[in-house]
Amino acid sequence: MIQNSQHLKLTRRGLLKSSTAIGSAALGSSWLARQIQAAMQNRAAEKGNHQSPKKCILLWMSGGPSQMETFDPKPDHENGGPTKAIATSVPGISISENLPGIAKQMDDLAILRSMTTKEGDHSRATYLMHTGYLPQGPIRYPTLGALLAERLADTTSDLPAYFSINPFQAFNPAAYSSGFLGPSWSPLVVESNQPAANAEDAAIEFQVQNLKPPESVAKRRMATRLDLLKASEQEFLQERPGTPGESHVEAYQKAVRMMNSTSTKAFDLSKEDDVLRDAYGRNGFGQGCLLARRLLEHGVSFVEVTLSSSDGNGSGAGWDTHTENFDQVGQLCGVLDPAWSTLMSDLKQRGMLDDTLVVWMGEFGRTPQINSNSGRDHWPNSWSTALGGAGIQGGQAIGKTSDDGVAIEDRPVTVPALISTICEALELDPASTNPSNVGRPIPLADHDAESIDELLTKSV
Amino acid sequence: MSLTKPGFLFICSLLFALPATTAAEPDGSWRSTVQKIDAEFERAWNDEEIVPADPASDAEFLRRVYLDVVGRIPAVSEVRQFLTTASSSPTSKPTALKREALVDELLDSPAFIRHLTISLRNSLIPEATEQANLRFLVPGFEAWLWQRLADRTSYDQLAREIITTEFGNTGNAITNASRPDAFFAAREFKPENLATATSRAFLGVRLDCAQCHDHPFDQWTQDQFWNLAAFYSGFESNTDNAQLAMMAVPSERASQSILIPGTERTVPAMFLTGSEPNWANKEETARELLADWIVDRKNPWFAKMAVNRLWAGFFGQGLVDPIDDFSENNPSALPKVLDLLAEDFQEHGYQLDRTIRIITATKAYQLSSRKSDDSQDDPDLFARSALRGLTPEQFFDSLAEATGFYQPYRSDNPFVIQQNTPRSRFLNLFRTTDRSSLERQTTVLQALAMMNGDFVNDATSLEDSVTMKAITLFPGMNEAQKVEALYLATVSRKPEPSQLERALQHIAAMKESETTEAGFADVFWVLLNSSEFLLNH
Repeated sequence: MIQNSQHLKLTRRGLLKSSTAIGSAALGSSWLARQIQAAMQNRAAEKGNHQSPKKCILLWMSGGPSQMETFDPKPDHENGGPTKAIATSVPGISISENLPGIAKQMDDLAILRSMTTKEGDHSRATYLMHTGYLPQGPIRYPTLGALLAERLADTTSDLPAYFSINPFQAFNPAAYSSGFLGPSWSPLVVESNQPAANAEDAAIEFQVQNLKPPESVAKRRMATRLDLLKASEQEFLQERPGTPGESHVEAYQKAVRMMNSTSTKAFDLSKEDDVLRDAYGRNGFGQGCLLARRLLEHGVSFVEVTLSSSDGNGSGAGWDTHTENFDQVGQLCGVLDPAWSTLMSDLKQRGMLDDTLVVWMGEFGRTPQINSNSGRDHWPNSWSTALGGAGIQGGQAIGKTSDDGVAIEDRPVTVPALISTICEALELDPASTNPSNVGRPIPLADHDAESIDELLTKSV
Repeated sequence: MSLTKPGFLFICSLLFALPATTAAEPDGSWRSTVQKIDAEFERAWNDEEIVPADPASDAEFLRRVYLDVVGRIPAVSEVRQFLTTASSSPTSKPTALKREALVDELLDSPAFIRHLTISLRNSLIPEATEQANLRFLVPGFEAWLWQRLADRTSYDQLAREIITTEFGNTGNAITNASRPDAFFAAREFKPENLATATSRAFLGVRLDCAQCHDHPFDQWTQDQFWNLAAFYSGFESNTDNAQLAMMAVPSERASQSILIPGTERTVPAMFLTGSEPNWANKEETARELLADWIVDRKNPWFAKMAVNRLWAGFFGQGLVDPIDDFSENNPSALPKVLDLLAEDFQEHGYQLDRTIRIITATKAYQLSSRKSDDSQDDPDLFARSALRGLTPEQFFDSLAEATGFYQPYRSDNPFVIQQNTPRSRFLNLFRTTDRSSLERQTTVLQALAMMNGDFVNDATSLEDSVTMKAITLFPGMNEAQKVEALYLATVSRKPEPSQLERALQHIAAMKESETTEAGFADVFWVLLNSSEFLLNH
């Protein structure tokens, strides 16, 4: 398992020779090694699995959503506050009244009521939940979207494999980085415009920044510029091999491919039925969920959609409800519930739910005790996340918290177990590894993680 | 190990570390170190049957040394001046002297101090670059470091001042004040974090794994890790909240030992070399004793770490690489070069600019980036100048230079980054997580910003661009000279005849279909988007 770095040095030199043999211009770069490895993995995946790879949507609740006002209400205990519980489509499972739409979709969703970590700091917890690992020295763990997109990517797509819609990265930018997998797997960030406060017909639109050339530069002129650039790049890089140059050329190729691609019509939500758009909710998060579906249809593998403000448009730590928890979570759920439940039914109707995993989570839960400001503080000890689609056995609530919500009484779920379950639902081996920036291979889910078997489809 | 007495050090600091506003006049002895290093490279390349790349042309050297020493590309006038005094042969003596003179000039400029400040801060507190919640710590530390570097403070003195920083009253807020507090605050004043930081920043020794268990394949034991941490064991934070712990000064008491968390073992403060601090001198605190040992001439790592890190800044990788991993398992391919640099550094008062003068004068640094033989592919032997990514700061300051963009700075603290300026937007977009500049990768969003974004569009338009206006409207130049000026402004060289011809053809075609200016704008756009402009080479 442990390799010493002398050995690594030797393999690096070995690689130099083998890449010369391949005859590529990319001599001796570890970047090339990763590309080759990725290509081989993809090929191996194709051989072993005739179906197309699965896809994933992560609904990220920035700030830490309250479990008691979402999936683990405690109406009979003073810690539960005024929040009522409602029945769901699955007998025996009730959830908060804030999620009436989701309650009807419970057959397709599994709740994990016994998430537990030790991280009550936004920055570290955001990193942990996004990478599956705690920040450790120099290792740059990749964010979930990069980690999974690298394995699931459809190489024929004109669009990058990983999109992030309205992210709020300020807690910890490293938690949103592709880390040791390199910038090829970094998210393409899409942001919604800010609709004017009082505009009734405010249209939510999404854009990739700088996707279109300036108006003064016509399409043909841009093509001429790119031809000139290509010629000078060839002259310069031909005699100067190395990762920085190759990566520069690759990034420009990808960017141009996207600029010229018809796939960018995925961003044009006006192609959707107005009734459906209304159902998702006319706000950044609701329309972001709709965009996520459209991106998956255009070959994207992983989309993260962030809900971080009570109107669904802003960017911040909306779920960080230290004050007025009940009002605020009520408003946040007013955005979340229609968007998420419409996403589930929309995916199902289009036959996409069997191949699409939907993950709902934030960085931690909220204190069971209500503080003097009617708020709840950070609580990593016992809280909730939810999964659905991609063969996840819905209609279940995994784990149980005590009546006061303070302790886990059954089936604690750790972050590596969650990541491992996500990998398996996406038909990836959680123990498979990536070479890291420190040389040591790092598995998708931390060592010894055990998936939550009752959620996974039993293969016959 | 006998330790240098602090009293002696104090006298030394009076004698040698007096503030000076310009670099000390080089005495010439550094040239013999360069010759020895060159001989060592010759020997290594011979042994490995390596044919090194050709010597770098004046233009190649000029651009590279500007980026490495002052953090930006040269201005058009600076390129012209240097290239017109070019000598005939790149190996003749005048070339060497001319290049030396240029380096001297750069080392005397404020831009050198600024660039060194940013890169040294990045090495000493890398967390503050990567984690947004630590960024508030940066301006105060950089302002302090800038002042100390401008005073030409020796590197051992810098290290001592950081490690022995005296804090004010318990509870005082960590502020933007010009002080080195951030070194401690970024580590939440925790002994274990400070042990890791100290060993990485000043010794190039990776102890992290030993925090929890004996290091699996290195010599370090868990006890040794905590022996080092014990020097910082006097800090007593009264909060478990990481963010709060870095915002205020904790209380500090005299302490000589530390309890290893999760065990019942208490270990004393001891140096990594196994020797014990001399507690007999009651005047000295634990941190002062630690500083004595770190900067002591017998310390096996301190000087090597410092010169190796400088080397990595000029080559993209260290003689030992990764630069913070000095261990038996990670030997240098050129150990003698490292020894020569470290010895010179120690013997001449730990002056960073002297070492930079040596590095930039070596044959290895003055090689072309053009590959001429397959034997040049092993990066560990530096037989060709590698393609290197720019830091976000090098990138934007070069872009500003090329396009004539005026950058206003805050006069009270130039290191406070103004939000929502083009500079801060580009720094964020080009912030990189790559391990080294040799592995710099471009993202799609960066490519889109350069191709289609407002900044480059304005820079290439006649209405908004200083450079475009100055060049295309200048009546005294013909079209070929204008194309040449665009090349000098971006890639710091004249175009090859074929490139000139291609540009002129395109301009002629654009004159037909649109305007002459549009043709020049296209040429400028291509240059700004080229890897030759966006990389160091």
